[in-house]
Amino acid sequence: MNDTEPHLKKFQKELSAGTVSLVLLAVLGQSKEALYGYQIAKRLEQTGDPLLVGKQSALYPVLRNLSAAGLAESHVEPSVTGPPRRYYRITELGRQALSEWAQTWRTTRHSVDSVLEGNLR
Amino acid sequence: MNTATPKTIPEYLEQLRYELRSADPALLQDALYDAEEYLRSELAENPGTDEATLLATIATSYGAPEEVAAIYRDTEVRVAKALSPPPPKARRSPLGQFFGVAADSRAWAALFYMLLSLATGIVYFTVVTTGLSLSFGLAVLIIGIPFAILFVGIVRLLSLVEGRLVEVMLGERMPRRPLYAERGLPLLTRIGRMFTDPRTWSAMLYMVLMLPLGIAYFTIAVTGLSASLALIYGSLAMGLHLLGLDVFSVHWYVDTPAAWEVPVAMVLGVVGLFVTLHVARLVGRGHGLLAKHLLVKSA
Repeated sequence: MNDTEPHLKKFQKELSAGTVSLVLLAVLGQSKEALYGYQIAKRLEQTGDPLLVGKQSALYPVLRNLSAAGLAESHVEPSVTGPPRRYYRITELGRQALSEWAQTWRTTRHSVDSVLEGNLR
Repeated sequence: MNTATPKTIPEYLEQLRYELRSADPALLQDALYDAEEYLRSELAENPGTDEATLLATIATSYGAPEEVAAIYRDTEVRVAKALSPPPPKARRSPLGQFFGVAADSRAWAALFYMLLSLATGIVYFTVVTTGLSLSFGLAVLIIGIPFAILFVGIVRLLSLVEGRLVEVMLGERMPRRPLYAERGLPLLTRIGRMFTDPRTWSAMLYMVLMLPLGIAYFTIAVTGLSASLALIYGSLAMGLHLLGLDVFSVHWYVDTPAAWEVPVAMVLGVVGLFVTLHVARLVGRGHGLLAKHLLVKSA
């Protein structure tokens, strides 16, 4: 625990706020079948990036909001191990949004990198 | 409240419920449902581990109850704001406020809800009155008990459906998940809980109320719409008729209106249309609150 820790935490939190939606939509976009919350969380865990994974409970509200915004659609299926699961699948609108978001992400990443590397004058 | 690491899934959910006690009940219900899905799936993935060990590791992956509560409170506000279409710009002038209602999608959705509520009201009312009277009537017979259970189950399902309608059309946050009964409990206890849950009974009250309310909403919406649209159409037709363009081939059976009445009718019709939209928005807000009180269980 040192002095910069709270600043780092705050920065990570703010950074993850926007990227989580993008990442979730990308996971849904790449998957052939519909996925439920736990599966998505486990897939993201494989990336090993603590920023993306964070606390996995944070993914659920984002998923629900993606679905409310029409970027993903969902249906409920009963499960033998627990409560009925909500499966998510990307919509056509979601695919369009995903390609635009990805473009925005690349542009932003590029400009942030160039600033960090001191390429600006 | 002790903040010790929970040993069982119900304990974990109980802590989460406690942490979110002051939050929106609909948000709490969603949070509990999500947590339960995750925890049960995790348990099923790791058949060898016992619940206590598993819950100890959950704190780093899914989050401890207090962290999860904080995340839900945060993310809900932020993401909902980021993903919802921007609200129409607030207009300052009284005139702008009055006519700005046409740009508010909530007003149109509420108007549509008012028209729809007659149909849903009839369905809900019929289900509840038929179900209640048959439940009491059949109570003396052996099939009375399963029938009553089935009826209560249907009421709870319908209340969830109505919740979705209200959220989509009136914009009032409602639960998106059914209340999931504790799995560990025996079936009979779970059935018993359906009957002791006050929400079951308030949902029934709501469904009975929906018939008179639906009739009122429908009447208001239809009267407002038809009166103002008729005034607009009439003044258009008459105006063109006076100019010698009888495009609507109008026949005035009652009385031919005087020329000065044409602009008056036009103004009345347009104002009436916007008043109807304002009324719809107001009714939408009021009804959303009513639905929230009767359909959502306060924690």
